[in-house]
Amino acid sequence: MSCHSKPIVWRLLGFAFLSAALAIAVAVARKNGLIPPSLRWVGALLPVAPILGYFAGLSSWIRSLDELQRLIQLEALFIQFAITAVLIMAYGALAEVRVVPDIAASRLWPWLWLSLFVSWAFGQAMIRRKYV
Amino acid sequence: MTNRLRVLRAEREWSQAELAQRLRVSRQTVNAIETGKYDPSLPLAFSIARVFGQPIEQIFSPPMLPGE
Repeated sequence: MSCHSKPIVWRLLGFAFLSAALAIAVAVARKNGLIPPSLRWVGALLPVAPILGYFAGLSSWIRSLDELQRLIQLEALFIQFAITAVLIMAYGALAEVRVVPDIAASRLWPWLWLSLFVSWAFGQAMIRRKYV
Repeated sequence: MTNRLRVLRAEREWSQAELAQRLRVSRQTVNAIETGKYDPSLPLAFSIARVFGQPIEQIFSPPMLPGE
């Protein structure tokens, strides 16, 4: 990652933390009955909004990279996609036959993000070794 | 594909970072091209030729084919 990309990394982290903070705030507000039933969907979708900013930032970061760095990101994203898809499919199949607990989608997304991040970091490390 | 990037850069006493700045790419990209791990796109190859003031074919050579 080049030095000029550091501010954008902080921006991406900011969006991720904002989403997490909103998720916690909404959970606390819901627990204390501060969200009226008619606005339940607003509270539920509130933490999702910063993720749109996150992906917009990610897109502009990738566009700012040079051709080799873009190639590295493309290959790392493919590894991320492949690992996450295989993990989710395997977990779903194992949950189907009750070898592992069947986790609801509402509880699954933090694990999905963790898988996305770890597999992307792994993919980057693998691909960088090839070119750099 | 082979290239004379390292030689041309050394002749001008430029660091990889300096060349990267002139080409508007990262230092890692310059290093990957110099070591033959990455072949640049045609636009980047033309930029390299422009920076060194030489025709593209004097910087990059195609790989030798069997029997050549």
